[in-house]
Amino acid sequence: MKKTITLLMLIAVMIVSACSSSGDGGKNTNKETASPTSTGNATNAPQGEDDVLSGTKPQLRQLQPFDRFDPNTYFTAGFLEEKTGYKTTYDMLPEELPNEKLNLLMSNREKYDIMRLTKEQFFTLAEAGALEPLNDLIDKYGSNLKAGIEDTTWSAATIDEKIYAIPQGGTGIYASSSLVIRKDWLEELQLEVPTNRDELYTVLKAIKDKKGVIPFTGTGQVSVIPEIASTFGIANTLTNSAWLEVDGGVIHQAEHPRMKEYLSFMNKLYKEGLLDSEWPINTSSVAIERFTSGQSAMMSLAWWSAPSVVNALKKNFPDADFVTLPFLKDEQGVSTIGVNTGITYFMAIPKWSENKEHAMNYMNLKLEKDLFKEIVIGQEGVHHKFEDGKYFPILPAFDDLNNASFYLTGVDESVYSTYWQARVRKDPILFNYFEELQQLADGLFVIDRLSNAPPIASISEHSQKLTKFSNDTYLQFIAGTASLDTFDSYLAKWKADGGDAMNKDANAWFSTQK
Amino acid sequence: MTPSYFKRLRLDVVREWDLYLMLIPGILFLLLFKYTPMYGIVIAFKDFNIYDGLAASPWVGMEHFEKLFLSEDFARVFKNTLIISIYKIFFLFPLPILLAVLMNEIKNMVFKRGIQTIVYLPHFLSWVIVSGLFLQLLSTNGGLINKMIVGLGGESIAFFMNTEVFRSVLISSAGWKEVGWGMIIYLASIATIDPQLYEAAKIDGASRFRQIWHITLPGLVPIIILMFILRLGNILEAGTEQILVMYNSIVYEVADVIGTYVYRIGLGQQDYSFSTAVGLFDSVIGFILIITGNYLSRKFLKRGIW
Amino acid sequence: MRQRTSILDKVFVASNYTFFIFMGVITIFPFLNLIAKSLSSEAAVISGQVNLLPVDLQFGTYAYVISDKLFQSAFINSVIVTVVGTLLSLIMTSLSAYPLSKPKLRGRKIFILMFVFTMLFSGGLIPTYLLIRELGLVNTLPVLFLPGMISVFNMLVIKSYFENIPEALEESAKIDGASNIRTLFQVVLPLSMPVLATISLFYAVAFWNDFFTAMIYINSPDLKPLQLYLKELLASANNIFLKLDTIDINMAMNVSPQAIQSASIIVATIPILLVYPFLQKYFVKGVMLGSVKG
Repeated sequence: MKKTITLLMLIAVMIVSACSSSGDGGKNTNKETASPTSTGNATNAPQGEDDVLSGTKPQLRQLQPFDRFDPNTYFTAGFLEEKTGYKTTYDMLPEELPNEKLNLLMSNREKYDIMRLTKEQFFTLAEAGALEPLNDLIDKYGSNLKAGIEDTTWSAATIDEKIYAIPQGGTGIYASSSLVIRKDWLEELQLEVPTNRDELYTVLKAIKDKKGVIPFTGTGQVSVIPEIASTFGIANTLTNSAWLEVDGGVIHQAEHPRMKEYLSFMNKLYKEGLLDSEWPINTSSVAIERFTSGQSAMMSLAWWSAPSVVNALKKNFPDADFVTLPFLKDEQGVSTIGVNTGITYFMAIPKWSENKEHAMNYMNLKLEKDLFKEIVIGQEGVHHKFEDGKYFPILPAFDDLNNASFYLTGVDESVYSTYWQARVRKDPILFNYFEELQQLADGLFVIDRLSNAPPIASISEHSQKLTKFSNDTYLQFIAGTASLDTFDSYLAKWKADGGDAMNKDANAWFSTQK
Repeated sequence: MTPSYFKRLRLDVVREWDLYLMLIPGILFLLLFKYTPMYGIVIAFKDFNIYDGLAASPWVGMEHFEKLFLSEDFARVFKNTLIISIYKIFFLFPLPILLAVLMNEIKNMVFKRGIQTIVYLPHFLSWVIVSGLFLQLLSTNGGLINKMIVGLGGESIAFFMNTEVFRSVLISSAGWKEVGWGMIIYLASIATIDPQLYEAAKIDGASRFRQIWHITLPGLVPIIILMFILRLGNILEAGTEQILVMYNSIVYEVADVIGTYVYRIGLGQQDYSFSTAVGLFDSVIGFILIITGNYLSRKFLKRGIW
Repeated sequence: MRQRTSILDKVFVASNYTFFIFMGVITIFPFLNLIAKSLSSEAAVISGQVNLLPVDLQFGTYAYVISDKLFQSAFINSVIVTVVGTLLSLIMTSLSAYPLSKPKLRGRKIFILMFVFTMLFSGGLIPTYLLIRELGLVNTLPVLFLPGMISVFNMLVIKSYFENIPEALEESAKIDGASNIRTLFQVVLPLSMPVLATISLFYAVAFWNDFFTAMIYINSPDLKPLQLYLKELLASANNIFLKLDTIDINMAMNVSPQAIQSASIIVATIPILLVYPFLQKYFVKGVMLGSVKG
């Protein structure tokens, strides 16, 4: 017995030492032991190439936000190495608590060369002095980046005239969602598709009275429904933190003068049973379930969910169909829909990176016209075809590129929006729905006024917490557990807890933009 | 502390030298992994910035604690924490014990093993999944429970949005999830009771219930005491993970606990100091309770953790 | 007298079995539901058509899940961590529990308090991270089991158990000239099978289910353990637009279907479920039988 245990302990110790000898800094399972090749396809040699970039290319370490595949073994990783000559290893932040982890990594000066950051993370790090100002590097090695990225986009990453990251936006202006309603039931009840709020109310009431189903279902995560709020002049988006221009200045949607009216309207719907009574506790999958199982007539549908919803509905009710509501008109007969054209990601280089020039060079190479196209949509004739000024995917080859966008560190804004639409065209249902949605939204866009603002301290600090606070309170108003008489005291608290500070700073920036 | 005291001390230690030897790895482990980082507690008293580091962060004393105790929601949140935690202890602590005793009376080994394995399954599901399950079960739109209630002539109950029943939902779901798992340690304890005691009792004509009362339960007393005292140690943890996924603003009034409240007001910021301060508060209370519990247990029940 | 007790007894037994059948039913249905979902079509799952039986039976989900390279590496990582961790932990914990179970040990109270103190007080994430970093354990596999090697709770349970072993048994070993170490390994541990089996289970489950440690210390995707992999797989579905100001359209289009999520849960949970039945044979009564006579 004693012998067995001693033996086991020995084995355990051996395993432990074997494991730790692989050291930290990440295990690399990269198959290709590609020796540093020449610069391959990179025809765009940096102006005035100096000694810094000559010689063997170092291995770069890139920190990315969470995603569900192994970036080190994916097709695009090898492709990029082949084309640029830079071997890059990728680490990912976790899905939960990414900011905490990022802070731990950064405060311990973990040696990354490129980091793809969210706006919040970007600001925290810039403020902490962890990021290298990139102005010089961009001038020397970033010609493609300069050419491909608009000035307004650059300003989002500029603090005190220093550029601290490569901003990646450029997906274009698109509507994300709309209301959809059961077409077959409308026909059955001889109702027209509603075009404004009053008609909507009438239709919902008729559906409840005659069909006995839940007229309108949704998720408690979205208490300010863009399609309805816009009829009150509140042009928000699903993320519920829109900044709107009112009387020459900007206000957060929470301060919009007609917010109370909106809540009152929704409360009315709730009281009369026109809203799903479980709205506050529904997740988005519950809303989809209610709609696709025939328990509900209307819901808000994001275009990327369209195929699964269409399939599920058809499967359960082969004769069922749904129709997209046009964006509802307000009292003046005008429809609007909010959109945020902001920056999704910021590519930054930490101050302690030892490969700053190479990192910039690498990001620049990826934006070279032909290479950039190939990264996103592959080769013409192999992965995609070009017809009528549009890109169409060739399946199944195109599927190799599903995760390609993960590797982007900046986009060429003049072309990127046309490229990624190729992905949408993969699925005909998805694409039809997407196209229809954009046609309906054409000309109706109201752009979030702070889309291209650089990170602002008070907004970074308070926004998330206040958005949750507002959402929570709105649900209480809508469900009737809190009386709208207390709206003013709620708003006062919102302002005191950071709303006023945000407003002040937002307007300070906004006034410099006129 | 006379010289002879030290002499006796040395003799005792030397005589039992191999016991101390056995203790060394554990103590070393403690010192290294637990006590070396212990200085981090001072973060609770500083305005900590992770980039400036601990030394450079300014000292603020009790500021974070004041922020916690003086916030207008603290009273409500503290009350909820205690109520939910005490309800949970009261209802859910005895359940696994009871189940273990009953399970012990099952003689069919196949049935016994099978049911034991099934009953602990929910422990392995995450709260996200369990929450979704209960939402569906208790839904007013086709949920099983409400169907039954209505079928029996009652009215639908919106369990998740009703401040009067929501706490019961929390406790019931926690019970359902953990009772099978909690049973295991008591079953193991029962397994160590000398079967000769049962034999002797049967010969004396003792009924099943008397056997349980006089043999099984007393045999469980040591482990029950240990479990209970330790349970007191996290009395301020009312189930943050569970409540975070299950609650909503409609029931904040009765379900918002310290953990969930701190989570919400900290959204978007990484205020390590504040969360450390709250954690320290929890720890101090818990520690006091454990010391007290152990003291009382030693005094009245003649046994304790130390 | 006998007659009446017998009827009462029969009623009790019948109710007991019925009660446990009921318990079994209410605890197994979510698993049956998950299994059913994992074998159904996505359309049926998202419209809530799946209850206890699969709808549109298909096995593609399992094939997809298992063939994912990340899943495979995560699975292997978890197995290694769980096996090595449980073994190490069991040894370390028993070694600590035994001396502390001796009432006459000098300084016992202080040592126990040292352990208990760490159950409640901790320096927190940041100093611990610094320590792990200093030790060179960041982004390595051992970080997933070394810091968790001794659970004070488990140690106290084992200690409590050791305290209840009759002294007579250990005395007889001592009389034969055995040292404390030999007594532990040759007398006490063999008698402690139920509690060792229990604590092994507790450690195994703790290591298998842990995702937090990996979340903080692991950076490379191929070192992730299974539960972290799984958690992230499921979470990505619900949180597309809740994190960012603007929606990452590419991520939105990549959401994993619910049927696949269900399959992943099943595959990640089944292995650890097999441990308990395996250990149940150690929960046998009568281990003390015959060991002490007089």
